[in-house]
Amino acid sequence: MPRHEVTLTVNGRTSTVSVEPRKLLVDVLREDLGLTGTHVGCEHGVCGTCTVLRDGESIRSCTTFAVQVDGAEIRTVEGLAKGAELHPLQDEFWDKQGLQCGYCTPGMLMRACEIIEGNPDVTHDQVREGIASNLCRCTGYQFITEAVCAAAARMKADSAETTGAQA
Amino acid sequence: MTTMDRPDAPPVRTHKENRKWVGQSIRRVEDPKFLRGRGGYIGDMTVPGMLHAAVLRSPHAHARITGIDAAEALAAPGVHAVITGAQAAQLCDPLPDFGPDPAKHTWRCLAVDKVRYVGEGVAVVVADSRYLAEDALALIDVEYEPLPAVVDPERALADGAPLVHDDLGSNCAYERTFDFGDVERDFAEADVIVTDRLRWHRSGGQPLETVGALADFDHATGELTVHTNSLSFTSYLFMVAGTMKIPANKLDIRPVPAGGSFGSKLFATKPAVIAGMCSREVGHPVQYLEDRVDNISNCDHHGSDRVYDVRLAMMRDGTIRGIDIDTVEDYGAYIQFGVGHHGNALAQVVGPYAMTSVRYRVRAAMTNKNQQGAYRGFGSEVNNWMLEQMVDKAARELDLDPVAIRRQNFIREFPHFIPTGNVYDSGDYDGVLDKALELSDYKHWRAEQAKAREEGRCIGIGLITAQERSVFSATEFWFWFDEPGAPVTSMPESVTLKVDATGGITATLYSCAFWGNSPETMVAQLVAEEFDCDPHDVAIVYQGSKNGLPATGPGGSRTTVMLAGAVEGATAKIKAKALRAAAHLLEADPDDMEWVDGGFQVKGVPEQRKSLADIAVMLHLFKHSFPEDMESGLEDSKVFDHPYTTMPSADRKDLGVFYPFMGHACHVPVVEVDLETGSVSFLAYAAVHDCGTLVNPRSLAGHIVGGTAQGIGTALYEEFVYDDDGQLLTSSYLDYLIPSAMEVPELKIGHHETPSPYTLHGIKGGGEGGRMMAPAAINVAVNDALAHLGARVTELPITPDRLRAAIRAAKSRESG
Amino acid sequence: MSGLVTIDTAPVAARSDRGADDKEVAVKPPPFQYAAPTSVAEAVELLGAHADDDARALAGGQSLVPLMNFRLAQPAYLIDLRRIEELTRIRTEGDTLVIGAMVRQSHAEHAPEVALGAPLLAEALGYVAHPPIRNSGTVGGSIAHADPAAELPAVVLALDAELVLAGLGGTRTVAAADFFTGPFSTAIGSGEILTEVRIPRRAGGHAFVEFARTHGNFALVGVAAVVELDGGTVARASIALSGVAPVPVRATAAEEALTGTVPDDASIRAAVDAAVAGLSPAGDVHGGTETRTDIARSYLRRGIELALSRAGDRR
Repeated sequence: MPRHEVTLTVNGRTSTVSVEPRKLLVDVLREDLGLTGTHVGCEHGVCGTCTVLRDGESIRSCTTFAVQVDGAEIRTVEGLAKGAELHPLQDEFWDKQGLQCGYCTPGMLMRACEIIEGNPDVTHDQVREGIASNLCRCTGYQFITEAVCAAAARMKADSAETTGAQA
Repeated sequence: MTTMDRPDAPPVRTHKENRKWVGQSIRRVEDPKFLRGRGGYIGDMTVPGMLHAAVLRSPHAHARITGIDAAEALAAPGVHAVITGAQAAQLCDPLPDFGPDPAKHTWRCLAVDKVRYVGEGVAVVVADSRYLAEDALALIDVEYEPLPAVVDPERALADGAPLVHDDLGSNCAYERTFDFGDVERDFAEADVIVTDRLRWHRSGGQPLETVGALADFDHATGELTVHTNSLSFTSYLFMVAGTMKIPANKLDIRPVPAGGSFGSKLFATKPAVIAGMCSREVGHPVQYLEDRVDNISNCDHHGSDRVYDVRLAMMRDGTIRGIDIDTVEDYGAYIQFGVGHHGNALAQVVGPYAMTSVRYRVRAAMTNKNQQGAYRGFGSEVNNWMLEQMVDKAARELDLDPVAIRRQNFIREFPHFIPTGNVYDSGDYDGVLDKALELSDYKHWRAEQAKAREEGRCIGIGLITAQERSVFSATEFWFWFDEPGAPVTSMPESVTLKVDATGGITATLYSCAFWGNSPETMVAQLVAEEFDCDPHDVAIVYQGSKNGLPATGPGGSRTTVMLAGAVEGATAKIKAKALRAAAHLLEADPDDMEWVDGGFQVKGVPEQRKSLADIAVMLHLFKHSFPEDMESGLEDSKVFDHPYTTMPSADRKDLGVFYPFMGHACHVPVVEVDLETGSVSFLAYAAVHDCGTLVNPRSLAGHIVGGTAQGIGTALYEEFVYDDDGQLLTSSYLDYLIPSAMEVPELKIGHHETPSPYTLHGIKGGGEGGRMMAPAAINVAVNDALAHLGARVTELPITPDRLRAAIRAAKSRESG
Repeated sequence: MSGLVTIDTAPVAARSDRGADDKEVAVKPPPFQYAAPTSVAEAVELLGAHADDDARALAGGQSLVPLMNFRLAQPAYLIDLRRIEELTRIRTEGDTLVIGAMVRQSHAEHAPEVALGAPLLAEALGYVAHPPIRNSGTVGGSIAHADPAAELPAVVLALDAELVLAGLGGTRTVAAADFFTGPFSTAIGSGEILTEVRIPRRAGGHAFVEFARTHGNFALVGVAAVVELDGGTVARASIALSGVAPVPVRATAAEEALTGTVPDDASIRAAVDAAVAGLSPAGDVHGGTETRTDIARSYLRRGIELALSRAGDRR
């Protein structure tokens, strides 16, 4: 089968890989780009463990062929922290114990990014409904919801500060 | 209770007051790597030259394999090898099996002449990529001669049923009736006998990460190294060497973090054997990762699957005299853990109630399904559910209040030996119940329930009180037999602590795989408590099976208690040496020294002090500063054996103590049943748990919520459904329904701490508790909602079909 | 929800009919050739040229890719429509809302033109799986996939929408009532693609409700309803059901029972009973025929009551 060149900008870094059209985006990220933070859970689009952001929107990378996102900007969990500094979502997940085994965590964090970035005033109930797209087998979702709400509040306060400082 | 001479219990301990680190909800030590996507799970590992395996699985529930043609597959692009079941049987011996008769229900990594369930592996392909391996699977031609399948456990036990294992001669792998206490008397004297038939269908752990292994067989040394996300029972892993037909000291199994387990990665040897066998054949490292379809159909860890016929002997005032249990368990096509699930039940079979007799008849049925393994509760959660449905039914038949009937029967003096011989070390069941009534706003919901009824709405409150045992002993593997082949008595846990030349502490864990439990955080907090350091400064390493100390690993909620004992033991040895060293350096009498704040000092003379770092650097580097007999270094280990195990009596009327650290909980879900659709939603949920002293309260609370979520799955949504031909109808997440954030309510969690008298700090285990309570509580709640209609559900999961059927049946009884 | 797919290409009824003849499948897709044309003309030409290779159009992939991962679908040639810009537009032509087939479900869900021109569609989109699926899944893809449990087919049927197809022979328009021919089967011919959905604006109150066992999962029953009141009388009722038959169905008995009446509890129940009388939904592990019928009855009532409440005062 002929291979296709796929250009992806992942966490700000652009690379081109040569892949079979059938290769799933999750496998390209993990194997061709060495970014193993995005995980495989079910490979039929139900569990959300493979969630990444494509041009700012969450998608299931296990039901997406890499060729379908040629030219797109992809964000994965590896792009959240800035060096030693954790993203507020990561820090709040840590503080609130929003993870136990950690396997759903990268997908959950990326989905949470989308939820918060789209709605800084997001409510507890909206968060809970928002994360219903991603299964977690360990936590029962309660501390995850708490962590996402805390991160949203923190990010809103941080951006208000920044705006205030610039004003 | 039998009149048996009991061995002495361990000494009752006094517990340290003013704990600094134990009891703190510190941030978990494990988390940073997972948050950054650097978890290092088995799928993340790549090594040069690594190949990939995929397994061809049977589409038949029961069939003879009459031929396999792999020629086309072998010739396919990128394929290095194809191994059929018959070939595998030459390369490997059967898998480690703790069942009643492994020679007759032989379990291998691939089926040889017969397949016994849909999904059983028949061949494995090794190729350059998983994609290519799966391409080749489609080219393997297997000829099957289908056989009639048996999928109902009671029909499997009937005469003339198709045999799952011809050699066994029957589908009954085990049958025995145990009598504890005076069953005849208690039932004869009872005022009322409450009876019921109950059915619990199988669900399973289904962690988001499947089982996988990366094996590398080195032909130069004959050594097999396997990385896998299953590492428990290190003490038993030598059996895998047996399967691989290599000497035990040529096998090294190394743990990697597991993305969840809930029991299903407890001693999962098949993927490791498949990968090891393939690696040896092709001379390359081979990775085998189950995919989701592999795992759902073939994880070898389906949960309990039981039919109960139960009789409860009651006095009119609500006192429970005894219980007569007849249970048939559908084990599937193999029975790797024997009837250990019933040992878990017998550890707490009477619940928190003081009844004096138990009859327990268990029959293990083989059927054409994937076998059972471990699932959070390991069979005790089913007993909790059965018992609480019976207490609930008794309360209704006797017209007694559900809270009052429980208090009527609570055990109040501890330690308490239950009729089976196991002990409940400590408890305060009234205290837990009082807290739960308050936390749940019970009175308010009873009032709401009455109001709702008038509006035609069905609200139910499911108050249950039940046990959560922790830390099993080895005896529960073999007290089923009068003459067991291997009456093992070791179930230890080990820790090595090393103090380096700077005073930094490293703890080595053996067999304490990370599953989402928090072994590193537990050890860090325990070590910090002993040495007055910061838990985040404690380094943790994991040792594989080779050079590992004897260890059992997680399961049965044993990790924290056993790690605590091991840490305490290793600490004592280190402090003894450090004390001697400090006394020597200070030219003081060791009896005049005491440990204060991270160092040893002369009592009353704080200036005369050596910190741990001071002592350590001297011990590491300055041998001549010390007496002849003092070795350099500061490191020691403790193999901590189970602290309270006693042997069963010869007549098995007393099984001894085998699960002594007994936690307890009260769950109070409030549900609304939609009569039209047969669906159940939550209006509120409160849970109070007593697991003794808590090391990290938030971590335990997280397990309670997570376990409750799985209990909700078991109660309402999750089931491995096989049709009459043995086809697995729920073979993906489209049909095996896992609760999302919208199916799990917000829980109000309460803690109650009744310390154990026998463990360090009074810790008991608690990781399984949420799931051990929720199914019982939810079923009671649903029946409470339906009681005024005369409807009752006795089968889990409570699906719309089952609920609607119960409602329709009640309506036709009413009108008929 | 839709976009996701059962592991069978068989009808909902037979999802559990997988017999031993189907080999257990694994979860990496089989090989295929791939093209991403930039025009409808190019796309239909490729489809025609590779018809013998079981060429398929690829929209969002949220139904097709899981099927391919299970190797239950093995098209040798995929024609990805994502680069055809004209298929991604939403526009209004007078009283007709026109949605390009490749408009992402999440985009349509939040588009002001859809909120205005087809609020029933906007509401139904919120039930399609989960937001991450909707970010990739397309309006056209879900309709063309025609899962009997899917939301959008019921919506277009209730709204008497038109589906525009393009093939080598040109374009043609098919009424929704004629579009769904069987489970996972539509009027789209070999070599044709769906290019747009044309939805006439409707007055009245709308409602989309569905019953699924877990959030975002397959619905057992879905109800799409639009009811127009004139004074207190029902002037027009359009009600479609998903999940109760191999194709979405109009609840014509209920529509007729309601039209011209002043609706109250009794008349709504009568309308619902009339609609349900003709149904015999096939059962599976999630619900047997009787349970599904009970649920259909319950949700039909809820859908009608909700639509009426939004149509103005119903008493």
